[in-house]
Amino acid sequence: MSLLERMDRLVYATRIDRLIFMKSEPRSYRWTPLLVIAALVAGYGIMANAGRAIPDYFVGWFFFYGAFLAAGFLRALGPRFTATATGPLDERELMVKSQAHAIAGIVLGVVMMLGCFYMAAAGAPFLWHPQGPLDWINLGFGVQAVSLLLPTWIASWIESPREADAED
Amino acid sequence: MGILYNRIAVFRAERGVTRRELAEAVGVNNQTIGYLERGDYKPSLELAMKIAAFFGVPIELLFSFRPFESVADTMRRAAAAGERNP
Repeated sequence: MSLLERMDRLVYATRIDRLIFMKSEPRSYRWTPLLVIAALVAGYGIMANAGRAIPDYFVGWFFFYGAFLAAGFLRALGPRFTATATGPLDERELMVKSQAHAIAGIVLGVVMMLGCFYMAAAGAPFLWHPQGPLDWINLGFGVQAVSLLLPTWIASWIESPREADAED
Repeated sequence: MGILYNRIAVFRAERGVTRRELAEAVGVNNQTIGYLERGDYKPSLELAMKIAAFFGVPIELLFSFRPFESVADTMRRAAAAGERNP
């Protein structure tokens, strides 16, 4: 058996194929995204306030990038937004996708607008603002994680809870 | 927007069709059939017509803005009509 065949078998043996090809039934995440956003904010706060304290910075890094990873997983396992191995999106899923992304876009737009107003005032010494390139890069990744999570969270509320179906 | 009642579950049970079979026939996810049956989702005209065509019935037999009468009421009415016109 060649190395490629072994690696291929390993993918199926570890059931990672269910994640890669999104074979599992989509789930609703009505509260988990809030926990992940809280972890993002906490991690970012710890990193931004760590200064020269390397251990503190890595605790923050662990929280922040762990939450970033979790955001990607929730996006993949939550309501479907892309065609998967089970087939293309149908009309209901397309409607949920468009509504969730429209609402998420509005929320993100308002947050960005408020962020701009805050940054305009952040020259005051008692107001925090990103200090250097690392703070800005982490902030960018944070915005990306939130933009992944918000549609999943909103779509989970738009869809009524799925009922276990004996036929399925 | 008003409620759109449907009898998909009744027709499906009567014909012995599973959600998955109906979903594959009309080209949607089988979860969507569940949402339709529970009234959590209103289908497009195209999907409604596909479902009606699958069961071979006019669309108004499947979907209505007014609640459908129960099977018991239908049978009672049919029995009463039978007694009037033996």
